[in-house]
Amino acid sequence: MRRAVGLVLLGAASAILGAAASVALSSDSLGAANSATPRCTVAGLTVFQNLSAGTVVSITIGSLPAACGGATVQATVNNGVTSGSGSASVPAGGGSVTVTLGAAPLVTANEQTDLVVLGP
Amino acid sequence: MKQARWGVVVLATGLLVGLISSIGSAANLSLTSEAFTPYRTCTITATPAITTAVIDATVRQGSATTNFGAITTLTVSSGSGINQRTYVKFDLTTCSPVIPATAVVRLATLRLYLTAVPTLCRTLDVFPVTVAWTESGVTWNNQPFGTTINNPPTASRTGTFSVGTPAGCQNQATGSYVTGGTVTSDVASFVSGGSANLGWMIRDDVEGSATTRTTTLSAKELATVAQAPQLVVTYVTVP
Repeated sequence: MRRAVGLVLLGAASAILGAAASVALSSDSLGAANSATPRCTVAGLTVFQNLSAGTVVSITIGSLPAACGGATVQATVNNGVTSGSGSASVPAGGGSVTVTLGAAPLVTANEQTDLVVLGP
Repeated sequence: MKQARWGVVVLATGLLVGLISSIGSAANLSLTSEAFTPYRTCTITATPAITTAVIDATVRQGSATTNFGAITTLTVSSGSGINQRTYVKFDLTTCSPVIPATAVVRLATLRLYLTAVPTLCRTLDVFPVTVAWTESGVTWNNQPFGTTINNPPTASRTGTFSVGTPAGCQNQATGSYVTGGTVTSDVASFVSGGSANLGWMIRDDVEGSATTRTTTLSAKELATVAQAPQLVVTYVTVP
């Protein structure tokens, strides 16, 4: 009998403890919102390929403003067959940075380059 | 005995509530934002030499009915009765993925490889073409902008760069792509559908020079990929 009462009390306590972890929301629905992330630049960047034997071995990204100094540039060049990626740090003061690719896509009629500037 | 079972049920329910509550606590998401600047670039290169994605040709006043779409050079020249202009067009639909019409073009750069520069600094003007032309058919006499020199007027150019050996000139040396061939507003209009992409014409800012001044560039027919004409378009899909 005592054990049964103990189990009942323990169960009730568990429920109370569980409930304590819950969040009390004044609204019964969660709102959605857009929040702009900060960017060191919205200007156009020059993205020029550096070639060796008809392949893209690296790309040079230029026109980086000083505000991007210290940021990391991640780049991927894709010709539809081969994809090469790499990253590099933007020097203090901005300017240009060369990203060496892990694989060298062949230069074709068009290549897509995806570029992300992270930070600073 | 019944109370014992009831206790087990309550215990299990309590643990379940705790578990759900813990999962529910995922509503307390803590997001850490980091400066994030994404770009996408399409680089169109005039390769191989037989590609139709890029067409280029020179028209020569001194050979007004001859087509020069198959030669290995492009020339821009100012001279008395012997002016030369370069026409070039890049098919933006070859970009993969296709640049969305809603994309914001941040920068578009026309890249032409210099193989000879004049001894005086010359300004070259870039004009978007508004009449269709073909690589194998265009001549001085039938060119989209007509045969009148210094036409269209300088004021209607959408890009410009200078070429020549003197110090201070924007492009002094051969053996590299020209600097300054920015055509962002034109490409933005092509992408959005504001105007048709019929390429560009490049002419000397002042045609008819008493002393001939010539700039020579590599054409796609040279079949040297490191010197092939290029158009580099950097854009964002979410401004």
